[in-house]
Formats: sequence, structure tokens, C-alpha cells
Amino acid sequence: MAEPYITLVSSLPYLPPFEQAERSPITRLRLEQRLHNLDTDDARQLAKAEALVSWRMSLAKPKTDAEMVLRSRAAMQDISQPALRAFIEFRIDQQVILAGLRQRNAGADASVLEPISGASRWVRHIAAHWGDPNFKLTAVYPWIADARTYLDSNNACALDSLLMQVIWQRLGHIAESNQFGFEAVFAFVFKWDILQAWLARDAVQAKSRFQDLIKEIKEIKEIKNDS
Amino acid sequence: MEPLILALGWVGLYAPLALGAIGSMIGCARAGSAACGALLEVESGYGRYIGVAAMPSSQTIYGIVVTMALRRELTVENSPGIFGLGVLAGLALMFSASAQGSACAASINVSKNKLEIFGISLAPAALVEGFAVFAFVFALVLAAGIPK
Repeated sequence: MAEPYITLVSSLPYLPPFEQAERSPITRLRLEQRLHNLDTDDARQLAKAEALVSWRMSLAKPKTDAEMVLRSRAAMQDISQPALRAFIEFRIDQQVILAGLRQRNAGADASVLEPISGASRWVRHIAAHWGDPNFKLTAVYPWIADARTYLDSNNACALDSLLMQVIWQRLGHIAESNQFGFEAVFAFVFKWDILQAWLARDAVQAKSRFQDLIKEIKEIKEIKNDS
Repeated sequence: MEPLILALGWVGLYAPLALGAIGSMIGCARAGSAACGALLEVESGYGRYIGVAAMPSSQTIYGIVVTMALRRELTVENSPGIFGLGVLAGLALMFSASAQGSACAASINVSKNKLEIFGISLAPAALVEGFAVFAFVFALVLAAGIPK
């Protein structure tokens, strides 16, 4: 098995499970510096994939479903790495299933999926099983039942956590498939992206930080009043 | 036919050293690459990683010893034995050094973030070394049975 990125992978820090992380072990700037060791073509493919399916898309999000489909098709034409293509397809499938669940919750019928008919291999399947609670996809995607429950209860935080967990596990398997190959590198980058997104949206941490700031302001005010 | 048999004898004589050295080059390069990457990430203990990266070099030493043990005046009678023993011992040393390089790279990669597993993470590399030692020792034992 090709191991072209032994030095690069060894220079990347350990990423703790995102739900347990207190801070990011590497900054984007430092990560970019390390990624300079990537082959030009691999770096280009990774950038395209990041713009398309990273948790926090760096490019402007597409405004319509049709635009999203066009963008994903264009990107996929430029991406030749099999593992990366498979991951992108997995993420798009995930987004299509979520879109289906959301639209159905909003009272739409299966025809709403027509604009994204070319986005995923599951669109027709979902439309054909619109009446089934889990689109008859539980065997392929066991997380759908939980995602539907969280959507029904408007629990966005739990839904995000579930989806991140599913992607995280997938990336873990991808990285293990070639420990020092491109697979390990792009799995790290997408995991890091999830970690950043999770840290940025940590409600408990935000509350704690907010309370610390309030406390600091109160203390400063008291000192000024005393003087 | 006789020159061919003698030529094979020379191949077998030098194979343990040459193949062992090729394996060591691959193994040390793999482990060394991982060590260089880890140096960017750790604040201390650099020597530890470079030391691990040198582990696959032992196969070259085993190859030198086997080559010396096989060294004798080549004849039509002893050349086939020297060829078989030398080439097979050399292949075993080459593959073990290459595999040990991968094991060392993995060890360096995981232990840079968790120093307490440094020792245990070297166990796979030590196991691979054990197989190289088997090949080495039995090559010496069998070399004694080849006619002078």
C-alpha cells in the first residue's frame, strides 16, 4: 500500500473525540503549513472537497438545490481519489436524506425532491418511500431513526451531534484504511473541521465564558466604585 | 553449466548483505520520515524517535554476518547450497526490515501524542525483529552444513 505522507501524517497532532475536546490541538494556519507537503493534485482535490462537504463550508453556500447539484457535479469531475469521492458521496447522501426528512416534516410531498434528483443515488428511493418514516433506509443508514426523532422534537443540538458522530466514525474508518496515505490526511482535515465546528457551538462552554465575562465586568465596576 | 552454478553461488554469497541492506534502507526511510514528522509536533525526546527510526538497520548487520558465514571457496558442490541459503535468508531480512520500518513509523506516530505507550507501541517492531533473528540464526546453523 502506498504510504506517501508518512512525514505529514506524523506531524499532525492527535485529535481527541470532538465531544471531549476542550480546544483545538492545531490552528488552521499551522494545519495549512503542514498541508504544504501534499502533492499539488491531492491538495487541489482536498480543497474542492472541503468547499463542497466540510461541516463549515468555506465558500458561499449555494442558494438553491439546483445550484448545489451543479456545484457537486462539477467538483466530482475534478476529484479522482476513490476514497475522497466515496466520502463526498456519503456526505451528499446524508444531506439529501436530511433534506427529505425536513421537507416531509414541513408538509411537502415527494415532488419537492425533483430539483436534486441527480444529487444522490437515494433521491428516487426516498421519493418512492416517502411514506415510510425512515425512507426504508435504516439498514444502510442506521442513524436515520435518531435523526428523525431529533428533527421531530426540534433538537438541533442533538441532531448536529449525531451527524457529526456519524461522519467522525466514517472518517476514522477511512484513516485506518491507509494510515500514512492521502486517506489519513483528508480524514484528519475533515475531522479537524468538525472539531472546530463543535468547539464553536459548545453551548456549555459559551455559557461559562459568558458568565466569566459578566463576573469580570462586575469586578471591574466594583473596583471603580470603590476608588 | 558449471559457470552458471558458480555464478549462482556468488549471488547467494552476497544476497544476505545486499537484500538486508535494501530492506534496511526502506525501513529506515519509512521510520525516519515518521520521526521527522513527529519532531515538528513534540517539544522534547527527539533522540527517542531517531533511535526508533534506526531499528531496521539491524538486518544489514545480520546480512553481513550471514555473508561472512557463507564465505568459502565456491565449487560446483557447494554453490547451490550457498545460493539457496543466501537468497532466502536475504529475502527474509529484506522483508523484515521493510515491515519493521512500517511498524516503527506507526509506533512513532501514535506515541508522539501519548508518551506512556511508547514502549508497548514498539512491541510489533520487536516481534518483526524476532523473525529476522530466527532467519539469521538458522542461516548460520545451516551454513555450517555446506561443504567447504
